[in-house]
Amino acid sequence: MPGRHPKPVYNARIQEMPLLRAHFLRALCSLLLMVHPTAVFATDWRAAEVQLARKIAAAMGPGAVALEVSNRSSLSSTESDEIRRGLWTELAALGIHSAAADQAAATVQVSLSENRRNYVWVAEIHVGNNQPSVVMVSAPRTAAAVGERATAPLTIHKALLWTNDNRILDVALPTGSPQIMIVLEPENVVLYAAQNGNWQLQQGLAIAHARPWPRDLRGRLVARKDHLFDAYLPGVLCQSTAIAPLALQCHESDDPWPLASAPVGLSAFFAPSRNFFTGVLSPGVQKQTATVPFYSGAVLPRDKYTLWIFGATDGSVHLLDGMTDQVMTKWGWGSDIAGVRSGCGLGWQVLVTSRNDGTGDTVQAFEIADREPVVASTVVEFPGSITALWTDPESASAIAVAQNSETGRYEASRLSITCNR
Amino acid sequence: MKHRGFRLLATASLLIAVVAGAATRPHYGGTLHVSLRVAPTSLDPSQAEWSGSRDVLSLMFDTLVTLNDQGRPKPALATAWQAESGSQRWQFSLRQGVTFSDGTPLTSEVAAASLRAANPTWKVFSSGDAVVVERDSPDPNLPAELALSRNSIVMRDGDKILGTGPFVAVEWDPGKKLVVAARDGYFGGRPFLDSIEVELGKNLREQMVSFDLGKAQVVEVAPEQARRAVTEGRRIETSDPVELLALVFGRESQSAVDSKQREALSLSVDRRLFNSVVLQNGGEPAGGVLPNWMTGYEFLFPVDVDLVRAQQERAEVPETTVWNLGFDSADPIERVLAERIVLNARDAGLRLQLATGPTDVRLVRVRLASLDAQVALGELMAGLGLPQMKINGDSVEDLYSAENGVLKSQRVIPLLHLRTAWAVSKTVRNWSEARDGAWRLPEVWLAAERP
Repeated sequence: MPGRHPKPVYNARIQEMPLLRAHFLRALCSLLLMVHPTAVFATDWRAAEVQLARKIAAAMGPGAVALEVSNRSSLSSTESDEIRRGLWTELAALGIHSAAADQAAATVQVSLSENRRNYVWVAEIHVGNNQPSVVMVSAPRTAAAVGERATAPLTIHKALLWTNDNRILDVALPTGSPQIMIVLEPENVVLYAAQNGNWQLQQGLAIAHARPWPRDLRGRLVARKDHLFDAYLPGVLCQSTAIAPLALQCHESDDPWPLASAPVGLSAFFAPSRNFFTGVLSPGVQKQTATVPFYSGAVLPRDKYTLWIFGATDGSVHLLDGMTDQVMTKWGWGSDIAGVRSGCGLGWQVLVTSRNDGTGDTVQAFEIADREPVVASTVVEFPGSITALWTDPESASAIAVAQNSETGRYEASRLSITCNR
Repeated sequence: MKHRGFRLLATASLLIAVVAGAATRPHYGGTLHVSLRVAPTSLDPSQAEWSGSRDVLSLMFDTLVTLNDQGRPKPALATAWQAESGSQRWQFSLRQGVTFSDGTPLTSEVAAASLRAANPTWKVFSSGDAVVVERDSPDPNLPAELALSRNSIVMRDGDKILGTGPFVAVEWDPGKKLVVAARDGYFGGRPFLDSIEVELGKNLREQMVSFDLGKAQVVEVAPEQARRAVTEGRRIETSDPVELLALVFGRESQSAVDSKQREALSLSVDRRLFNSVVLQNGGEPAGGVLPNWMTGYEFLFPVDVDLVRAQQERAEVPETTVWNLGFDSADPIERVLAERIVLNARDAGLRLQLATGPTDVRLVRVRLASLDAQVALGELMAGLGLPQMKINGDSVEDLYSAENGVLKSQRVIPLLHLRTAWAVSKTVRNWSEARDGAWRLPEVWLAAERP
């Protein structure tokens, strides 16, 4: 019944709205991005070319024109040339053909400009000594693709899993059939299933919480055997039901968050209104049940003991081996670290974040030999700040989430290490 | 061999630790000290004296919606909205669980009362959990208008004005000092900082002394001083050009002769020289009222000096009028620019004289109030003291047409778009500004001393 209800002006763009439809659209966009990145980034200018050509034709009528196109925008010269050719094609279809300036009925200066939202193409049309007429069209701006590089001695492989406008806190890929991907967002847990090589949205589950989330919100997904997953958030624990359709039960909780599963299992208590762990450990590293407040922890099993490494909130690194709490103040590591069992080198490495001259954060693998960090891989670059780095339950890889500084979107990737033989 | 390779790389790891800073998560705690020129005597967002420091207001007050860097509305106190009756009636659904700084829940009645007080000509009322705004005519830009700081949602309790913002005022010495403390229950998450102390009414020199002595961590820097401050080793954060500096005539052009003189004045002004020499590239020459980054078409309006044409226009005027040029005598940059404008005009045969009393034309600085181009243009008109113009649609062409009309009226001659610049202590992390130069202080945190 069109016309009966007012048309909502603002719906899907509201990030907080837990609408399945919004999720579906986001999922679809993300899917397109992942499956055919070039198709998403390659821009079809034809609509704007047609529109501008029509406006020019309306202003000057058919005839000979001297056309000049100048690029005042971030478009590449290739794109600029492509647009110029496309514009000529459309103008020709409208009866306008090229001529030298002294033989043309009009001269048209097209400027490819831009504002913060759109490309703005402006045509100044000069006919005789009349005041020039100005016509313009706009076309949405697009984001550029971002590359990456990685080489020896060990190689960190970065595989993009998911992108989203909403903050991604964690991503879990529990094994099973069909394969499922779980994405933890501030207000939802969203499930996708692999179908025909693509991730298809299955279900969105709202996270109930009474108190506002802290800034720099963090969260952790842990796949379970008796039910699908647990989601740990500051002061809140959410548990999925065991059978489909899934439901999510959330309640206030100060349960410790798992840092690693058995046999090196360790959990730590998270400050409910902050972005760090309090330092209280459960059950502890042998006799050590507490350390300083920390942002992240990584495990490095040794033959006779287990070494735990904590990125403390004061910037130092603490090494706990069950007996001593050794403080390293000069390592210059970032806040987020994660232990990964690669089987290469010493068997386990620590992935460490650091800043890359303002362009974005990086991750690099280190080994700890004689309580000193040794670089074990080249650097993997991210297109913005890393907001999460968690070891997966089997410690075979890590999930890294970065906010792309160009697009503002969150990008979750799986980081795995391979040996260079 | 592998271990040998690792040892070789160990040296590199030390280098990395020095060259690349740690990617550190935000720290909670600490007090940020800020110094400003403005010296407001009220904490009421509706007071015009706050127009130059909406950043401070945003610490304590929220609006129903905010704008992202593309100028598109996004949720704040309202989580959803929809227009009816051709954008003449708007309904905003309020976020649940929001409280004022004294713990009073935000209700649609309070929000409606706040908007009614700020906009007496609007019809605003509550409807369940929603606020409804009805206008006399379609207003597709209403969400962007509601993002203006003067439309902050406040609760008045006698002399007290309470907000729902991330900070609450804990000390207020009108015109001198404001101290705000972080609110644990803020719906957007508690700010990282514990508190912010804002010293008010400090001139730029006093601010820089405070900065150099470590008493202030964020101070204003004049656009023309920004480059020098960088060479002196200070960390300077600059915005896009967000402040219009323009000549504004006190009345409409009275005759063809008047129009020709105004045209000659506009053609005689050497904007590029002003920017490169006087402002040390602290801005951009302005041909339009709105900057090019916002519209994409500002380049259509000429900025180059054209003395020949200026003299031709002047030659068609039998006798020129002497215009009194007003400026803010407390603003050193305005004085220098005013003097140069007088000289430029003289080259074209025009007669201008500096004046502190009644003026015919005056230098005016107005900062962009919105990231929505249409709303920004309307607010600039108001700030320049010019009548509002009608924009007939929402396309870039409609905006161009409206702005072109403003310029053709010859009430305003744009000169420069200036950047804002701040000296920011190196311990201040996560400093960022919106595209229009607005602070994002709830995201700022202070680096702890490395152990």
